[in-house]
Amino acid sequence: MATEQQEHLKIEELQQLSPDQIEVMAGRDRENLEGWIPALATEAEVKDAFEKAFDYRGDVTLTLKSGEVVEGYIYDRRQGSTLENSLVRVMPSKGEDRSRRSIPYSEIAALNFSGRDTAAGKTFEAWVKKYWEKKAAGEKNIQIEPEKLD
Amino acid sequence: MAIPVSQAWTVATYVIKQKLAGRKRYPLVLMLEPLFRCNLACAGCGKIQYPAHILKAELTPEECFKAVEECGVPMVSIPGGEPLLHPKMPEIVQGLIDRKKYVYMCTNALLLKEKLHLFKPSKYLSFSVHVDGEKEHHDFGVCREGGHDIAMEGVRAAVAAGFRVTTNTTLFDGADPNSVRRHFDQLMEAGVDSMMISPGYTYDKAPDQKHFLGRARSRKLFRALLSNRKKRWQFNANPIFLEFLMGKRELTCTPWGMPTFSIFGWQKPCYLLQDGYADTFQELLDEVDWANYGTESGNPRCANCMVHSGYEASGVNYTFGSLKGLIATAKAMFGGLYEDPDAQKLLNDWKPTNHGQLVQIGSGILSAESERVNHSESLAVGD
Ligand code: SF4
Repeated sequence: MATEQQEHLKIEELQQLSPDQIEVMAGRDRENLEGWIPALATEAEVKDAFEKAFDYRGDVTLTLKSGEVVEGYIYDRRQGSTLENSLVRVMPSKGEDRSRRSIPYSEIAALNFSGRDTAAGKTFEAWVKKYWEKKAAGEKNIQIEPEKLD
Repeated sequence: MAIPVSQAWTVATYVIKQKLAGRKRYPLVLMLEPLFRCNLACAGCGKIQYPAHILKAELTPEECFKAVEECGVPMVSIPGGEPLLHPKMPEIVQGLIDRKKYVYMCTNALLLKEKLHLFKPSKYLSFSVHVDGEKEHHDFGVCREGGHDIAMEGVRAAVAAGFRVTTNTTLFDGADPNSVRRHFDQLMEAGVDSMMISPGYTYDKAPDQKHFLGRARSRKLFRALLSNRKKRWQFNANPIFLEFLMGKRELTCTPWGMPTFSIFGWQKPCYLLQDGYADTFQELLDEVDWANYGTESGNPRCANCMVHSGYEASGVNYTFGSLKGLIATAKAMFGGLYEDPDAQKLLNDWKPTNHGQLVQIGSGILSAESERVNHSESLAVGD
């Protein structure tokens, strides 16, 4: 569930028109969250921050109230009525035990969007620009290479 | 016949059994995603934007078989990522065939030719090759010059080796129906059994958020494309779903019809949206608030959706829902060339647009477009 802030272009469009009249859909806002350390002062801030962390396409670092630090990818979150029964589900990126973990919001002291946003900057516009630059430079077999994983 | 008779029979009896059992929600095709890594990095795809440790992770064959058995579907589609990058893909495919599942192994075909010998032709197996249009459209869509030639080489090699081959074409804003019709001719000439077609996916996570068709433009495009069809074109799609794309029918979404299973578990609610994951298929059925999804729900993320993963099962439901549905489907299957002079005029008058980026690479149309791009943006992908 993306936040309203992330969806606002689509919501605005739908307030004006019915889906059947829409020619091209509005996209959604892409927030620049890389490096963000949200304040987790209120319950609303905590819930909003983890909603964004769930949406984020990079790793995050969680500092637990126990002092433990967990780095990994948040692939799910479950919002309950309280912080005790709300939890994030993480695939750790470091350490010997990489098994998935479920961590209640109430056990988390800090959240850091520490990993690179792997979706940032990868637009058709960017590809077009790069394509024509390479074409002008006389390159052949122009392509976007997938990232190296090692 | 675009699909084997045995497959049509299996699917028909499966659906009828579900209906007789009074099941309100049942799946038709499992979208099995055994890995997310890919050997392409298409700008329009949101499936591969993950940290490296996620891209390296993959499902084991046992996890794949368990998922298939858990949901009980007659058909399995294996998208990804690129499934041929999974070292145990032949074992996974064979295990599914042994379980008598009809398998569509989706591939961009970059590796198909060299890996063909690892698979055995079977009525249960189709390679579903992703080809987005004529050469330059496809190359641009997949952000790789020469991608089309490699994919078509893979198609021809698979056809020559006796495999069933289908193709999968996704259309975005800016698609030219005249070009896509030529593309259909080329695919049938290459010997494919049938073709799948769908409007572009509204992936929330897609890096490109500007080129998804709304419903109005989708209907216009598909009406121009699919009316006045040629007899030789074979589609791998429920005919009612194709009529829905052409604006001839209303369907509501069946998001549980094609559930997705990946390294994270069962994706809530559908292939396109990620609202979390369930650990079991039953949990997926029980925990998702299905009323929140589908165009009619008012959910902004569903507003423009007409994709096959949400609506093809709705077409199948319509087919088997009443005698009227069966007759409409039979009519569409056996006589449906959809002659339509107005659609022909639409096609004749169609002017390729240059507002979308999916236009001919070599035409120069993009030069002006490219000058307008935001120069602060740069490709973050390794190039
Ligand atoms: S309309 Fe259906 S298939 Fe499309 S995004 Fe919504 S739930 Fe998914």
